[in-house]
Amino acid sequence: MRAHVILRYVGLVLLFDALFLLISCLISGFHSDSAFFPLLYTTLISTLFGVFPLIFVPPTTSITNQEGFTIVILSWLLSCLVGLLPYIMWGGEFTLTSAWFESVSGFTTTGSSILTNVEALPLGLLFWRSATHWIGGIGIIIFVLSVLPHMGKPAMILYRTEMSSLAVDNFHYRSQKTIQILAIIYVGLTLVETISLLLCGMNLFDATTHSFATIATGGFSPKNLSIGYYRSTSIEIVIMVFMILSGINFGLLFAAVSGNISEIWKSSIVRYYLFALAAGIILVTLKAHGNLFQSWTDALRYSAFQIISVGTSTGFATADTSIWPPFAQLVMIYLTLQCACAGSTSGGIKADRIVLFWKTMTKRIKKMQHPAAVIKVKIDTLVVDDDVVEVNILYISFYVGIVFLSTILLTALGVDILSAFSGSAATMGNVGPGFGMVGSMGNYSQIPDIGKWILSATMLLGRLEIFGLILFLAAKSWK
Amino acid sequence: MMLVVAGVWSIYELTTVGTSVQRMLDDNYKSINAGRTMIEALEREDSAVLLLLSGNWEQGRSILGSADSLFQKGFTIAQQNVTIPGEPGFVDEIRSRYDVYRGSWKEPIVGTSKEGNLNWYFQQVHQAFLDVRLSVEELIALNDQTMYLTASDLKNKAHRAIVPGIVAILAGLAFTIIFNFFINYYIVSPIIKTTAAIHKFVETGEPFNVQVETNDELFQLVSSIQRLVPQKRASEPPK
Repeated sequence: MRAHVILRYVGLVLLFDALFLLISCLISGFHSDSAFFPLLYTTLISTLFGVFPLIFVPPTTSITNQEGFTIVILSWLLSCLVGLLPYIMWGGEFTLTSAWFESVSGFTTTGSSILTNVEALPLGLLFWRSATHWIGGIGIIIFVLSVLPHMGKPAMILYRTEMSSLAVDNFHYRSQKTIQILAIIYVGLTLVETISLLLCGMNLFDATTHSFATIATGGFSPKNLSIGYYRSTSIEIVIMVFMILSGINFGLLFAAVSGNISEIWKSSIVRYYLFALAAGIILVTLKAHGNLFQSWTDALRYSAFQIISVGTSTGFATADTSIWPPFAQLVMIYLTLQCACAGSTSGGIKADRIVLFWKTMTKRIKKMQHPAAVIKVKIDTLVVDDDVVEVNILYISFYVGIVFLSTILLTALGVDILSAFSGSAATMGNVGPGFGMVGSMGNYSQIPDIGKWILSATMLLGRLEIFGLILFLAAKSWK
Repeated sequence: MMLVVAGVWSIYELTTVGTSVQRMLDDNYKSINAGRTMIEALEREDSAVLLLLSGNWEQGRSILGSADSLFQKGFTIAQQNVTIPGEPGFVDEIRSRYDVYRGSWKEPIVGTSKEGNLNWYFQQVHQAFLDVRLSVEELIALNDQTMYLTASDLKNKAHRAIVPGIVAILAGLAFTIIFNFFINYYIVSPIIKTTAAIHKFVETGEPFNVQVETNDELFQLVSSIQRLVPQKRASEPPK
């Protein structure tokens, strides 16, 4: 493994982070707020560590898979490390642990916060907090690759390493084209949402930061009451629409924008994803009406927002779901585990794997009925390899196993079972809010420090889809 | 550069810490002290009114006179030290309530129907005394709260003065390690390899084969040696 080559690519990522830090710093300077120096200082550090390897290390024509994995994992870890610097230097509620938690939560688009008073943060720091969502949304490396000139084979290896394995198979284009599609859709959706929110009456700062958080399916809001602060149906509708869109495979969105709208509906995964959201909304609305909300309109309005927010792994809130009936909470926990489609910015197990899991189950039942039959697992018209099916089941098992392990560790630290389980599932799925003390109107400040490190690890495991981080940690065993 | 920025930033934060401490002492502590003086004066006045009620005119009026001037002194300080938003409202309220209270004992008490009249005392004088005292306590609470906020801000400023230095040290260490790695990889290591290869060529005639990744002076040196080696070999007489 060539350390200098790894440093060169990680340096590129740090330079990209520095660009957003500089924008945050300018915003801070414009408003003369107290985050100016922390942001300026972090910009300098990030730039220095980014530029330095570029000066020394000449461009490389190829990288190995092992180097690719290391570059991707180190890029995430170092971005999170650089991301915590403005927080810890600014002070306030931030300690080293909580700054790391907030930074990891931002980059992994989880949206869980330790802040009890978000509005106390200066504007520059609030912008940086939202920018971490946007940088991490489609993947730090993919974002960097999309703005850099053609990098040849290394770009392909890095792209395949960072993208969800399911998403790589879903895009039927070559790497560079796929990266461009992702970037176009990502930036396009952000721009359109920002304009829509401005038209709904939001100011430019709030519209931009909320768009960053929506399209990245993150969930950080510059307001303590999240979207509930605005008490605006039009704002909620706009955000709901863009949360749903951000949960759909960007390749399908690109096809739709290119004129093939039917492509979206042809995908059984998108159909399942939309069906799951619709079913969740109907069930929770029925349960919430009378118990929580007296009118059907209110029940539908708040249920729809919360279900879409959780089901797309965004994590915005308009209501306190911690006090909702257990049935409604269970529906939301299911969606917290599942989330949206691969190839989007969403986290969780992903709808694709759930569909594949059910199809594998169906196949097994049919096989028991007709032992001699040759039955293949198919998604739409594609036959899925047995290897992919095996990896899928293994992934889901690992995923649930990690959620349980994290729950056990948190309860050992004295966290109540509901907060521990929902918090673990919400951080692993990069959703954000859970229930109990980590509910939609609560925060993670009450979790013990060790618990925050555990949850930060689950966020990274969820974002890097488990195997990436495991392969990195087992780097010595690579041949 | 990082250390310079960290240093400038620390100086800036420490300077503002000094300014904040001075401001806290000037603005808030002075008002709190003035408030305490006013309460002390009010309590003396209340005792003096009780002396007048019991018919002790001389002692009562003497205490009232000195307490009134003490109150005016405290009030003047508070009035001239309005620094917090909302503070003028509290000062105005103290003024108007004190006027009411003062009016209740300004008129003669001894030798009138008010002497020994506890009902009059509790319904008018004591109530007015409590009202002024409440207003003064509210002024003290406002300044206390602001002092607490300023102290919290001081804690943050001290934190901001220290942390950049720590970050600069850690970043400097990391930077040194990376810098040494690059210097070793791109400069020291190729020089050692080149020297070793020349030694081997001279001693054993082993072919000179050193690769340099960079396109700098070292690369030119190695290229020159690579061109020189065949010429040297050709110029040697066959053994």
